[in-house]
Amino acid sequence: MNWWDDALHRATAEVVLVGALAGLVGVQVVLRRLSFFTMALTHATFPGVVAASIIGVNIYLGGVVAGAIIALGVAALSRRSGQNAAAATGVMLSGGFALGAGLVATQSGFSRDLSSFLVGSVLTVSPQDLVITAVALVVVAAILLACARPLLYTGFDQGGARAAGYATGAWDVVLLLTIEVVVVTVVPAVGTILALALIVAPAAAARQWSTRLGVITALAVTFGILSGLGGLYASSHGNVAAGASITLTATAILALSTVLSRAVRTRVPASLGSSAVPA
Amino acid sequence: MGEAALRYAGVSVGYHGTPVLREVELTLAGGQRLALVGPNGAGKSTLIKSILGLVPVLAGTATVLGGTPAGARHRTGYVPQTDSLDADFPITAAQVVMMGRYRRIGWWRPTRAVDRRAVREALDRVGLADRGGSHFGILSGGQRQRVLLARAIVAEPGLLLLDEPFNGVDAVSQDAIVRVLRELSAAGTALVLSTHDLTVARELADLVCLLNGRQWALGPPAEALTGESLRRAYGGHAIDVGDGRTVLVEP
Repeated sequence: MNWWDDALHRATAEVVLVGALAGLVGVQVVLRRLSFFTMALTHATFPGVVAASIIGVNIYLGGVVAGAIIALGVAALSRRSGQNAAAATGVMLSGGFALGAGLVATQSGFSRDLSSFLVGSVLTVSPQDLVITAVALVVVAAILLACARPLLYTGFDQGGARAAGYATGAWDVVLLLTIEVVVVTVVPAVGTILALALIVAPAAAARQWSTRLGVITALAVTFGILSGLGGLYASSHGNVAAGASITLTATAILALSTVLSRAVRTRVPASLGSSAVPA
Repeated sequence: MGEAALRYAGVSVGYHGTPVLREVELTLAGGQRLALVGPNGAGKSTLIKSILGLVPVLAGTATVLGGTPAGARHRTGYVPQTDSLDADFPITAAQVVMMGRYRRIGWWRPTRAVDRRAVREALDRVGLADRGGSHFGILSGGQRQRVLLARAIVAEPGLLLLDEPFNGVDAVSQDAIVRVLRELSAAGTALVLSTHDLTVARELADLVCLLNGRQWALGPPAEALTGESLRRAYGGHAIDVGDGRTVLVEP
C-alpha cells in the first residue's frame, strides 16, 4: 500500500503544509494589524466556496473569486476614511456569512458538507488538495521573499514609502490577494471560520518572543506546524473534530506564549529584556 | 549652480481641485536651507507633499531639481515625523536606514558591502554608530528622528524634505540633526523643513517662507519673521516681546 493512501498520513502532510503557510502569511497579517480584515476575508470566502460547490466548479476557484472581490473592495474603501472602512469590513463579514448560509439553505441535504466548509475536514483531504497546498506554499513563500523589501517599507512606513516612489496601494492589493490565497488553501484543513486562528495565533505568539523579523517568521512557521500536528494528534486520540482541535492548539500556543514570554522577561535582567519589550 | 533645486511660480496646491495653499512663489538654490513656518493647518505638510508629487499642483508651475515633482522623486529625500510610525514594528535601526538604499539595490538582490558601509556611515554621522542593531521602537523620539535622517541621507538626495524634524526631540538629538543638516547644505544639498519653532527657523534657515493658506512672506529670517508678518499669518496669536522678537501664543 502506498504511504499516501492512508488518510491519517495525508492529513499529517496537509497540516504541516497548512501550518507553515498560515504561519508565514500570518506574520504580515499581525504586523500590519490586518486580523479584522482577514476575519472578513474568511467569512466572505464561505459563500464563494458554497456557491462553487453548488454550481459544481472548483471550490478553490469560488473562494478565491469571492475573497478577491472583498479584498479589492476593502482596499478601495481603506483609501477613503478609516472609520468607514472598518464599518464596511464588519458589514461584509456578516453579510458574506449570511450569503453563504442562505445559499446552503437552498440546497436540501447539504448540512453535512456545510460543516466541512466551516470547520474543515482534514481527514478527508485528497492527494489533489495536498498538491494544491504544496504549490500554494511555494508560491506564497516566493512572493513574500521576492517582495520582502517593498512589503517591509510599506508595512513600516506608508508615508515614507509613498514619498520614496512605492505604489503603496498596489502593494496593499498584492498582500491582500496573497492572504486570500492562503485563506482559501487552508479551507479543506480547518474551514473558513477557523482559518483566522491558524493564521493569526502562531504569528501573534511568535511576536511575543522576538523583535527580529527573521526570528518571528521562523517561530510563526514552527508554531503553525506544531498547531497542526498537535491538533491532529489530539483529534485522533481524543475523538475531537480536527479543525477545532487544531484551532484550540494554536490558541493555546498563543496563550502560553503570552504568559511565558512575560514571565521570562521579568526574570531576565532589564538590559536584556528591554530588547524584547518595545517601549 | 545653474539649476535651482526648487522653483515654484504662482503655485496653488490642494486636494480634489480645492486649493489648500495659494500663491506660492519661491526659488531655492542648491545648498540653501528653507524653513516653512506657519500655524497648524497652514499648509506646510501639503507644500512638502506637493514637492514630492503626492499632492497635485492646481495652478502655476512647480519645478523640482529641473523636472516635475513626481519625476524628481528618486532624487528627493523625505524625513517623515516619527510619531507617524509604528514603534511596535519588529525592525532594527540599521534595517530602517537600509531602506534608503532599496532603490539602488533593487527588489530582491542581496545587499552589497557598499550598501552596508553606507548604512554604517550614515548611522555614525547622526551619532548612532552603536545603535544599528537596536530595535527601532526602543529608541527615544530624537534617536528615531536621527535614524530617519540617516535613511534619507544614504540615498544621497539632491533635495531633502523634513516634516517637523524637531518635534518631541531632545537637545542632544536636535544638536546632532542641526549639525548634519549644516554639513549637507555645505555639500550642496538643498533643504526644506517645516517647523513651529521660530528660534530654529531663525538659527538654521537661509530663507523662511511664512505660510497660512497662502504665502505671507519669503526672505531671510530677519526679513520674513517680523512682528507684522507673523501677526498677519498667525492672526492674534503673535505677540511682540521687544528686541524685535515675537512669540506665538497657541489659541
